[in-house]
Amino acid sequence: MVNVVIAGYARSPFTLARKGALARVRPDDLAAEVVRGLIEKTGVKPEDIEDIIMGCAFPEGEQGMNVARLIGLLADLPLSVGGCTVNRFCGSSMQSVHMAAGQIRLGAGDVFIAAGVESMSRIPMGGYNPLFNPVLAKKSPGAYMGMGETAENVARRWQITRDAQEEFAVKSQKKAASAQAAGKFKDEIVPIHAKAGVIDSDGCIRGDTTKETLAGLKLAFDQEGTVTAGTSSPLTDGASAVLVCSEEYADKHGLKKLARIKSVGVAGVEPEIMGIGPVRSSRKALDRAGLKGTDMDVVELNEAFASQSLASMSEIGFREETVNIDGGAIALGHPLGATGARIVGKAASLLAREGGKYAIATQCIGGGQGIATVLERI
Amino acid sequence: MAGSIKKVCVIGAGVMGSGIAAQVANAGLPVLLLDILPKDGANRNAVAEGAVARALKTDPAPFMSAGAAKLIECGNIDDDLARVAECDWIVEVVLERLDVKQALYHKLEVVRRPGTAISSNTSTIPLQTLLGGMPESFARDFMITHFFNPPRYMRLMELVTGPATDQALAAVVAQFCDRALGKSVVVCHDSPGFIANRLGVFWMTGAVTETPEIGLTIEEADAIMGAPFGVPKTGVFGLSDLVGLDLMPHVNASMAGALPKTDEFHTINRDMPVVRRLLETGYTGRKGKGGFYRINKSGGKRVKESVDLKTGEFRPERKANLPELEAAGRDIRKLFEAPGKVGAYAWNVMGRTLAYAARLVPEAADEITAIDEAMRLGYNWKFGPFELIDKVGVDWFVARLRAENIAVAPILEKAASKTFYRVENGKKQFLGLDGAYHDLKRPDGVLMLEDIKLAGKPVLKNSSAAVWDVGDGVLCFEFTSKSNSLDEQIMALLQKTIALVKEKYKALVIYNEGSNFSVGANVGLALFAANIAAWAQVEAMIATGQDMMQKLKYAPFPVVAAPAGMALGGGCEFLLHSDAVQAYAETYAGLVECGIGLLPGWGGCKEMLGRWVTDPKMPRGPMPGPTKVFEMISTAKVGRSAADAREMLILRGGDGVTMNRYRLLADAKAKALKLVDGYKPQEPREIVLPGPSGKVAMDQAVAGFAKLGVATKHDIVVGGELAVVLSGGGTDIIDVVKESKILVLERESFLRLLRTPATLARIEHMLETGKPLRN
Repeated sequence: MVNVVIAGYARSPFTLARKGALARVRPDDLAAEVVRGLIEKTGVKPEDIEDIIMGCAFPEGEQGMNVARLIGLLADLPLSVGGCTVNRFCGSSMQSVHMAAGQIRLGAGDVFIAAGVESMSRIPMGGYNPLFNPVLAKKSPGAYMGMGETAENVARRWQITRDAQEEFAVKSQKKAASAQAAGKFKDEIVPIHAKAGVIDSDGCIRGDTTKETLAGLKLAFDQEGTVTAGTSSPLTDGASAVLVCSEEYADKHGLKKLARIKSVGVAGVEPEIMGIGPVRSSRKALDRAGLKGTDMDVVELNEAFASQSLASMSEIGFREETVNIDGGAIALGHPLGATGARIVGKAASLLAREGGKYAIATQCIGGGQGIATVLERI
Repeated sequence: MAGSIKKVCVIGAGVMGSGIAAQVANAGLPVLLLDILPKDGANRNAVAEGAVARALKTDPAPFMSAGAAKLIECGNIDDDLARVAECDWIVEVVLERLDVKQALYHKLEVVRRPGTAISSNTSTIPLQTLLGGMPESFARDFMITHFFNPPRYMRLMELVTGPATDQALAAVVAQFCDRALGKSVVVCHDSPGFIANRLGVFWMTGAVTETPEIGLTIEEADAIMGAPFGVPKTGVFGLSDLVGLDLMPHVNASMAGALPKTDEFHTINRDMPVVRRLLETGYTGRKGKGGFYRINKSGGKRVKESVDLKTGEFRPERKANLPELEAAGRDIRKLFEAPGKVGAYAWNVMGRTLAYAARLVPEAADEITAIDEAMRLGYNWKFGPFELIDKVGVDWFVARLRAENIAVAPILEKAASKTFYRVENGKKQFLGLDGAYHDLKRPDGVLMLEDIKLAGKPVLKNSSAAVWDVGDGVLCFEFTSKSNSLDEQIMALLQKTIALVKEKYKALVIYNEGSNFSVGANVGLALFAANIAAWAQVEAMIATGQDMMQKLKYAPFPVVAAPAGMALGGGCEFLLHSDAVQAYAETYAGLVECGIGLLPGWGGCKEMLGRWVTDPKMPRGPMPGPTKVFEMISTAKVGRSAADAREMLILRGGDGVTMNRYRLLADAKAKALKLVDGYKPQEPREIVLPGPSGKVAMDQAVAGFAKLGVATKHDIVVGGELAVVLSGGGTDIIDVVKESKILVLERESFLRLLRTPATLARIEHMLETGKPLRN
């Protein structure tokens, strides 16, 4: 069977929506610069790329019109390179990776860019025209439920206290801040050239956050709940990309292989507790690889909310010290469509950097889904 | 003339300087704001920039819009003073120290363009003193422009020129302050404190020192000094807290220093131990932890407290209970004659203040009109001192002064057995120092309904509205009901008016000179009808209102609405159905019906939808427009300026803003006349709305707020009905929705809401307390 590898990972800085440095940058420009950066960094021959598969959760406005193709044109890729936009909400760009891997195994190409983008500054969450089906809204209220409410539901069902959530959030911030201070994001970030200047560092991280400051925050979604802005991932602008190719191609062209894709999984769950999505999808992927949660040496679990992260971690049985070594989305930010490729790329890089045998990247998805990718050290 | 000032430099970024800069920016002009270098730090413009940042957070807001703040460019005196050459008017608002001001003037003289107006905002230093040792070229371009705090909201500007001042240049500045900054320019002589503060400080000092001597509480003193005289209910002690107690000793000392020994101010300017004590314990007024009044938050509750003048300690506020005051009502003479403390206090404070005011003619101003205007606009008195004396009766007043051996000013002698103001041949006149009456002259181009009303009879009139001929074929529709609330009488007269204009006139202006354009429909009537289950009548009320609004919109002549102050609910719907709006800059408009559990029922939903759905700046598709309208109406959002109303699309591109309240009617009339030639009524709009799918999203938004505790139980019901209307009911996105359909939806939802007990409770609560019920 053809082996598929991750042979490069790049992302833009992640900055706060509307307030951050990328707020005035168009998402197509942003993603094009990241794609360009990935190509330069990996040394892949652009003409060999079969397709750009671009994940985006709200593909409209400046990230509409099949933005994947437009990004290829903006990035001056050869006209022969295809472009396709995919949407699985927060799991969009992890889906890009899965599709690329599937295509390679199918013999439908050797090299793919699996990427994602989201400007939460410029395109509202829910899009410009949320036209909900009134029948479905009645039948399945969770289908359109706000993410905050689902986080509260998970907190209640799994009895995750506010205190536990805040402890988790503080740790995420500290890990991200020390990784940033140690320059550990330098090699993954592609500087973005905006009108206002060059943007080359993350803008969401709050390293000085303490449990006391978080305890003082107002509840964000439910006055009888436990979730605050401090225990939620912030609205974020960003783009990310990984190079997915056959192992044979990587070897032949001397590309640096970060990790091998071992297995993948996707699964639906109750929409009202969408945050628990990583559990079923990770189990599927782990089963397919014949592995257990405790076998993982590196875990990239998207921190949409602290409540769902904690609930998912304990259900799957990840070892705490393996989870989000350089911090997670509560600190770094969560530009919906861009997160999947970031955590796959990050898990692959960490496996290469930290050693160990297996890694997993997994995340929850609005509407009630989860997605997971298991990686293996080469 | 005003056009010749295109850029202004304000030097000094304190509260007044930044406030003046903000008002120039509000007028749409660029401002260069300079202050000194900061003590430390790399940013050399930090002082001015800090002032703008603070102004953006100040409430009441100095800026009318966030956009206005971008017109201010900050700099510092060391690096940027030469840039005053770019400016046509330089306003100096630095420390009240002669040496500091003059040092700056000498620097300015080197870098400014000759002929550029320079003015000082000094409140205490005479013009002649400021000019001491300055070259003639400087004196020619120099004047005092004294603004009041806060500059955006206080409409008075005192102008002082010297013998050397170029009068043409002063006229340019005066015109600019009038038309662009919206100020009423009162020309003052170069005498200490000019007019308003000279008199205001006299009044306040007298009031503060008399209170303990007569043995009143501060609540009693404020009650006597407030409503009966048409003085804002803050009275004197509340006003001192507002202005800042720390300023009192400073202002009094400088006033005492500047006034001649013979001035009566010295007799009332006594030591104020209570003020001293308060300042020593850190009570500076409302800007700090309190002054004469404070809010005590200890113990988790907010308790309003006041100082006991006998002990100097705070105690819970005690509402005044003075039978003599009640008995006098609004009869000032009766109040002056009241027995005991009440009469003594009223007379000793206000009687003497009025006598002092009379002596300011001609010392501080040529005419009584300047003094009355200064007190009305500088201290928000409803009546000027001479208007008050007219109420008391000149002869009674003079007799009492004589009886008490108080000097009688020459103007009072001239007024013997007369009044200071009269109406002659339909014109208001005032008494001059020459003993003759003179026509009250408005500044060029000002048209006041008040004057038109003196000169003639209304064209049409009933108990709630009147119609006036304002000349050139334009009629003015005036609301006259209590608080300008809208009722069926107004609708009935509007119907007649539309017919009349069609027949004989060219255009209609909707305007009045109340403090608020209209705070909306008379909901008391709706409540009454609901209580007796007269649903058919309620529906008829809504239908008539809708019908009249449509008639106004599609009338074959131009209709211009000219609001000032609040234009809420139905008042706002009048704006929305006019061809154009000419708004006073201080217009506060919004559709607030949801606050009392209803929704806009006279086409407000329909008009806002039409505007937002067809706005080219909005994203395409059926949701963005209705979502935006839903946000505004469901939260009862009210714009905090005409500029805000424009952001809300209550004002549109062609609509105008008038900065000076006095010029509003003239501007509205001119706008209406401009629309006459080739006038074509608007075409009815047909729009696409999202239908039931859109309602789901709106309902979900309200549910989210309810979970957070921001929206109440009944908000969900009200929001639900609003969502029905704004999503277009059962429409489909491939259909267009006609105006008539939205009107039906408005009517149906309005009636459904009126039938809910929670809405009735909201209305009742609002009528009783003036505050919204959050049920």
